[in-house]
Amino acid sequence: MTLHLDGTKPIYIQISEWLENEILDGNFESDQKIYSQYQLADIFNINPATAAKGLNILAEEQILYKKRGLGMFVESNAKDLILSKRKNQTLKRLVQEIVMEAQRLNVSKQELIEMINAIKLGEERE
Amino acid sequence: MSMIECRGLTKVFGGTKALNNFTCEINENTITGLIGRNGAGKTTLLKIIAGYHQQTSGEIKVFSEEPFNNLTVSANMIFVHDQLNLPTALNLQEILDVMAGFYKNWDRELAHRLFDYFSFHPMQYYNGLSKGMKSTFNMILGLAARTPLTIFDEPTTGMDAAVRKDFYRALLKDYIAYPRTIILSSHHLDEIEDLLEDILVVKQGQELLHMPIAELREYAIGLEGKNALVKEWTKDREIIFSKNGAFDQSYVVVRNDFSESELYQAELAGIEILPVSSSDVCVYLTSKTKGGIDDVFNKG
Amino acid sequence: MSLTKVSLSEIVRQQYVYKLKAFIQVFMSLVFVQIIAILFSQGGSGMMGSGGGLIDLEVHYYSADVVVAFTMLWGFITAILITTKAYRNDDFIFVTNRISSNLSNMLFLLTASVIGGITSMMSTYLVKIIIALFKGDHFINSSAASAPSVGLFFGICATILYIFLFCSLGYLVGTVVQLSRVFAFALPVVFVGGLFFDGMRGQAGIIESLFTFFFMENSFVLFIFKILFTVCLSFSAAFILSNRMEVKP
Repeated sequence: MTLHLDGTKPIYIQISEWLENEILDGNFESDQKIYSQYQLADIFNINPATAAKGLNILAEEQILYKKRGLGMFVESNAKDLILSKRKNQTLKRLVQEIVMEAQRLNVSKQELIEMINAIKLGEERE
Repeated sequence: MSMIECRGLTKVFGGTKALNNFTCEINENTITGLIGRNGAGKTTLLKIIAGYHQQTSGEIKVFSEEPFNNLTVSANMIFVHDQLNLPTALNLQEILDVMAGFYKNWDRELAHRLFDYFSFHPMQYYNGLSKGMKSTFNMILGLAARTPLTIFDEPTTGMDAAVRKDFYRALLKDYIAYPRTIILSSHHLDEIEDLLEDILVVKQGQELLHMPIAELREYAIGLEGKNALVKEWTKDREIIFSKNGAFDQSYVVVRNDFSESELYQAELAGIEILPVSSSDVCVYLTSKTKGGIDDVFNKG
Repeated sequence: MSLTKVSLSEIVRQQYVYKLKAFIQVFMSLVFVQIIAILFSQGGSGMMGSGGGLIDLEVHYYSADVVVAFTMLWGFITAILITTKAYRNDDFIFVTNRISSNLSNMLFLLTASVIGGITSMMSTYLVKIIIALFKGDHFINSSAASAPSVGLFFGICATILYIFLFCSLGYLVGTVVQLSRVFAFALPVVFVGGLFFDGMRGQAGIIESLFTFFFMENSFVLFIFKILFTVCLSFSAAFILSNRMEVKP
């Protein structure tokens, strides 16, 4: 994966999201050691301090835990935490944006729900 | 622990103050980007840190010692710049050998590998190299010396894009393997910003900003929309840059002290919220006027 | 990363070794200067002629004095040269401070003086061989230089000291000029002007008495003392003057 280095999101956020995706994809089991800040720095060509910041965000959210001198490990309930976080934050924000755009375009609530249903239906057919 | 401490540093050259009451601290084992316009005092600062120049007044400590004319500082520091005076009588290989004698941490292996990678020839002479090749060779010296303090002043002058990329990668990899204090001055912040931990912005001989680079990305925010609307949203805020576009539109960059909900409100009101890249922030902050080059052409 | 501790003597040694290698052009110019000087020597350093009736007598003196003089001049110019920007700032990409830089320069100049002194004394023989081979006249060898002797040893020592004296003066002049460009004009004006002034007055001035002070000394011990004292004086002056000097590219 490549980072959007010129994107809106700070790099450390992108790092933490990338790590979350790795955990969601099952590349890291619970209690498995995750990449160190130096490995991340090397992979993404960024300053190790920036990488550490990305790791620390996950540690604060208790998705990772620290073992002194050994590094960071994946919490047992990491996947659930990530999923609920994404639902509550990311999805919510996206929906907010949709609602805002709908208001601008004078799309009614009913229409919006229909659009969502249509997309869902299309997915199920595939 | 701080590696470099400057307090009230002033340097006068023929009546003008290249540094004016400059104060800052640079932490050990960080990569700091030194950014500023031409003539802002970057090189003067680096020369004082390197012990080449002596300050007119103020205090400076490098490794807790006065750097001017100091052997310990000299032995633990390398200052790479584009006017490097290398012996003309020695070929490149001999220069590397001399360096190895002087610098205790010199990594022969690394020097040799980089030397081969950039296809230098041992029998070449420094003065026969092109500008870009000189910079590349300087870079090898700077990296292989592996000194606790490594200073690169405009290291990429004349390098082509591929070599610049290689250089940044090499710098980072060697830093990861052997953490040390690195100061990197450059005009191209967008190229180096991912490497940096801290950024130090200098303007007119003074410290303008010194913060983790991650914070600089969120330092400012751009608002674009109808003149009146933007004006209303940016009043009482620190305006960093403003530009009037066509069709009653204006673009204003302000200090990002908006709350999440305020931004949401602004967006609802029809203002477009745009992120401002670190290098743009630096350009705006270090420019002499609030307007920019456009003002020159707008006569009335 | 921990700091490395360095000692002054170690750095001076490194710099000295480096300078022997990097300033190699200096020795090439020595060879050139001495060859030129040997060619000049073929004219002889003195001539005496007398004649009476059928006999014409011409006595030519040949010696390596010209070579020694040229080598002293070479030492003077070399010393100035290594204080110039091209050489002076070379040290600063490596490990240095002003003291180590000056000390290694001094050692280098001493080495240059020793080499210059020995080669110029040896060139006496070369001059004589050339005379003997190519000027078919009667050749009378003076006894003093005919065989390696204590005299030759003293000769070499004295020559080395003279060259080193000129090196130290050159080094001081070079350092002063580095302090301010004004001296690049002022010093020659004072020197040449002084000579003219003395000439006009028709009596010995400072420059001539300095010449007598150094070159007309009969006691070897006193001579060594005089030279070493002056050398120390001018190097110390150069050290002190350059110690607060900034590195300007």
